[in-house]
Amino acid sequence: MRLGNPELRSRLASEYVLGTLRGGARRRFEDYVRRDAALRKEVETWQAHLLPLADRLSPVDPHARVWKKIEARLDGARSTSVASTKAGLWESLSFWRSVGLGASGVAVALLATMLTLKPVEQSPTLTAVLAEDNNVARVFVEQSKPGLLMVKMVTPWKTMNGMALELWVVPKDGVPRSLGLINDTGETRLVFTGIDEKLSGGLVFALSKEPPGGSPTGQPTGTVMCKGAIAHMPSKLPRSPI
Amino acid sequence: MSTLPPSMPTAVNERLAALLAQAGLGNRAAFADLYEATKSKLFAVSLRIVRERHIAEEVLQDSFVNIWNNATKYAVAQSAPMTWMTAIVRNRSLDIVRRPHVEVQDEDDFFATNMEDQRPGPDDQLASRRDQVKIEHCMKGLDGEQQQTISLAFFQGLSHSEVASHLGKPLGTVKTHIRRGLLKLKGCLES
Repeated sequence: MRLGNPELRSRLASEYVLGTLRGGARRRFEDYVRRDAALRKEVETWQAHLLPLADRLSPVDPHARVWKKIEARLDGARSTSVASTKAGLWESLSFWRSVGLGASGVAVALLATMLTLKPVEQSPTLTAVLAEDNNVARVFVEQSKPGLLMVKMVTPWKTMNGMALELWVVPKDGVPRSLGLINDTGETRLVFTGIDEKLSGGLVFALSKEPPGGSPTGQPTGTVMCKGAIAHMPSKLPRSPI
Repeated sequence: MSTLPPSMPTAVNERLAALLAQAGLGNRAAFADLYEATKSKLFAVSLRIVRERHIAEEVLQDSFVNIWNNATKYAVAQSAPMTWMTAIVRNRSLDIVRRPHVEVQDEDDFFATNMEDQRPGPDDQLASRRDQVKIEHCMKGLDGEQQQTISLAFFQGLSHSEVASHLGKPLGTVKTHIRRGLLKLKGCLES
């Protein structure tokens, strides 16, 4: 089978996505796709075209055991050591209160950097600079629109040794709420339902080191890598009623 | 993490892409949310092809383990999240349906069964609405036999020869309908 002919490539890609390419031919075609980026693109184009047809199907709920089995398989694949909750420091509200002033100097120093990150289309409603105890700024967090939190690693750590970084928002009650895992370099976009509710009333962001997959307990279990007070910005323009 | 591919207009797609990205980082809670948001659509896709609930459950398990393991690759896939996951589920379903112990039965009542769900609902947002409108429009432009053969292959996961025996038509005729139908779709979809 030669795949130089564009018509043949397109036909095989379409029949692969439709599902009529079967058996050995299907597997051989998959081998070609793995080696041929242009062919992969052709397949992706057909997928984008045809697969939305599946939206015709009425949803059918799978049995709850399916998720349990998926979880069991993922658990089987990962390390079974689960760190115990180090609640002490995390539950101390005075620990969080101590964050405020220390980090604010860093915040000012970083303001210029923040503003040059990208053209500001919307004024941020919330910003924070997360720094280590020695005031090295590590992470910048900004919210410019509802439902989305941008997290930028300003100064990455050299190595994470396979550990994950989890971002937490700490409100007045001192009980951290998880916002998700953060890339150890570059930017992370956090988007999920209820993020704005989680952020409301937040005083401090903190980044903790967690086992791969994040905290197994729903509360921070590892070292606080950096933290910073949240600056809530009043919005300049009141929203017009719809 | 990358920015989202440009062709995803809906907030739902953006949310699914973000959940996939979190899953790629190893976030199990996000992965659970992703499963909840997509399980019923994806289960329906597999069930239609493999016909038996316990096999479709196996497909869904394998697919989500696969999604978890490959979530970091999603960012470079440049496709809508639901498209990417549907492709994984369909591939697994088509693999598994080839197993000798799985009988693919003819469904004589195929056209009578409630295959099509045209009621608008929240799940409609899962696929990019625009892509869906387009493919549905283009399908309507095919002649009856092309539509019928392509639908049987797509939804039921039937091979050329299975479509032929299902319709009582020669294999060559069926292949021609499908080939020409796909060519016509391509012309329409890319216009």
